[in-house]
Amino acid sequence: MTDVFPPFLIFVIGALILPFLPNGTPRGIVSLIVPVISAAMIWELPTGVYTPMSLAGLDLTLMRVDKLSIIFGLVFSLAAFLSLLYAWHVRDTVQQVSSLLYAGSAIGAVFAGDLVTLFIFWEGTAITSVFLIWARRTPGAFATGMRYLVVQIGSGVVLLGGVVLFYRETGSIDFGKMTLGSLGTWLIFLAFGVKCAFPLLHNWLQDAYPAATVTGTVILSSFTTKLAVYALARGFPGTEILIYIGAIMTLFPIFYAVIENDLRRVLAYSLNNQLGFMVVGVGIGTELSLNGTAAHAFAHILYKSLLFMSVGAVLFRTGTAKGSELGGLYKTMPLTMVFCVVGAASISAFPLFSGFVTKSLILSDAAHEGYYIVWGILLFASAGVFHHSGIKIPYFAFFAHDSGLRPKEAPTHMLLAMGITAFLCIFIGVYPDPLYALLPYDVKYVPYTTTHVVTQLQLLFFSALAFTVLMRTGIYPPELKSVNLDTDWTYRKFLPTVLKRVNNIVSGLWAFGTWFAKRRVERVVGALYQSHGPEGRMARVWPTGAMVLWIAIILGATLIVNFI
Amino acid sequence: MLAILALFWNPSQLGRENETVSSEENKKKTIPSTLPWLGRKLLWLDNMRNVDRIVYGLYGLCALLFLADFFYKKKTYLDLEDLPGFYGIYGFVMCAALVICARGMRIFLMRSEDYYSPKDVESEAYPEDGLERETNDD
Repeated sequence: MTDVFPPFLIFVIGALILPFLPNGTPRGIVSLIVPVISAAMIWELPTGVYTPMSLAGLDLTLMRVDKLSIIFGLVFSLAAFLSLLYAWHVRDTVQQVSSLLYAGSAIGAVFAGDLVTLFIFWEGTAITSVFLIWARRTPGAFATGMRYLVVQIGSGVVLLGGVVLFYRETGSIDFGKMTLGSLGTWLIFLAFGVKCAFPLLHNWLQDAYPAATVTGTVILSSFTTKLAVYALARGFPGTEILIYIGAIMTLFPIFYAVIENDLRRVLAYSLNNQLGFMVVGVGIGTELSLNGTAAHAFAHILYKSLLFMSVGAVLFRTGTAKGSELGGLYKTMPLTMVFCVVGAASISAFPLFSGFVTKSLILSDAAHEGYYIVWGILLFASAGVFHHSGIKIPYFAFFAHDSGLRPKEAPTHMLLAMGITAFLCIFIGVYPDPLYALLPYDVKYVPYTTTHVVTQLQLLFFSALAFTVLMRTGIYPPELKSVNLDTDWTYRKFLPTVLKRVNNIVSGLWAFGTWFAKRRVERVVGALYQSHGPEGRMARVWPTGAMVLWIAIILGATLIVNFI
Repeated sequence: MLAILALFWNPSQLGRENETVSSEENKKKTIPSTLPWLGRKLLWLDNMRNVDRIVYGLYGLCALLFLADFFYKKKTYLDLEDLPGFYGIYGFVMCAALVICARGMRIFLMRSEDYYSPKDVESEAYPEDGLERETNDD
């Protein structure tokens, strides 16, 4: 039946046997072996289309292997390994099992050859990942998880609607390149857009990721959004609207990141910004830019995990990840600080770090293809990301003012996970050829040219200069305990308020209407009662004496008339 | 060469002049011998004068990078890029604008921490059973 073994099944098997193992080292080992086996299998996979199945008259393709799916499959396995190593201390079965299933779903989706299979794994990632938020086990986390689940499941439902319409139009459920035009393709595009955190659809990300557990956030950061980037690269390469969507995506989160206090939320905003670069790459749609998207996704998963890991380690030791509460931790957590700085340098695209050799593919191609305004925006966003992720995160966590906190260095397994990730970030930056070899198309790109290195250093150092000047002059906004309104305000405050008002008005009108009608009816009933009731005129019993009197009067009157 | 310099430059050490906020009490608590090796080595950052040195180093580096533009042939797509120090000026101006705009956004967007509570984690403490709080002295 099967000609290749689907790698996601390894994760399912791992998740099934995990609860029956004693908690501690045995579970840790199994959860680390699973992604290693998965990576080895993906590495060996021959390209082609495998494991066809038939379900209710539809031809499903469980495995479609090509270079694009392989690079995403590999980096997902790698990310799963690193984050599970980071989560070695976790003794919560819910988190252990859901992490494995979540990574497995994402890998399953990457190899899906048709839209129905994609839909199944798409929902799989939603359902499995929400447990990483609920695992915090607080009322706030429960509510946040609910919001996350509604958005994620909603994205899946929209996808399914799109797939059904697409099937009716074309008679095919093949997951290949699509052209925007019909309602079906627009719905599929929208579903991808929700998961990819397009502008105005983005806020589930910044809402949910900081609410997850210490390790949960690291795991969440790797899969969902990059799966969406993969889906866009597969389904809509060269769709021009993506260039502008991506450019806006790189732009607005950096403003929020500057004023946000929760450092994990700052990272969620910068994650959004980095997704923008990938979306622009998909939108341009040339071989170079698609390579850039794949390469940037690969590098991004690593450095973003690294940043979340380092801030997570601080949270793990101090109980907070808020910039206003932290500071001065470099003395007692120096290794975590160094790893954080490596992640920061990578995301800022410093030469010799991973971001430099991947982001430049997209930027160069944007300029090369003549999208100068987009290029300018991306350049600004690059400087901005250095500002808030490169400087702000390490600065406010580890330096700035001394918070008086003296936490112990992160535990060994966390340091190990961060160390390996940091090594990979630098390795890719120094020696990008192995990564370039994995890319979907043949690359003829040299990142290290004099122009590129000098201009990039100018951009970064002058951004740092701006930070220094603004800090010294006191213009830089201080970290304050606060929340900032974003689009989630519409469904967390505005709509509930509007609904409450509408409810008040409707129930008020209803109460008035019923009161008014009741009063009318009561009056009618009262009037009838008065005339027809037991005391009413119509029902009065007249005494016979009165009749006799009246007859006597009438007779008397008749007598008088006769005599006159 | 400059790229190598970048490796040794730690972006997080900027603007450390705010170190004055550090209370004397906390400083007294810092006993170098209890710190990890790397933490002890980095203690020189506690000295304001060293922070100033880093900042002056940054000024110097920026000047050098600006001048570097005159010594090689820039490969460019836009005429604007040929302007000496274009990337530096762009980075500086845009970042300053970014921060000032973001600061202005606070006026409209900032709310208290419990604005969404209880349906939000912002005002909640992280549950202790998910943490391993240990101080350096433990």
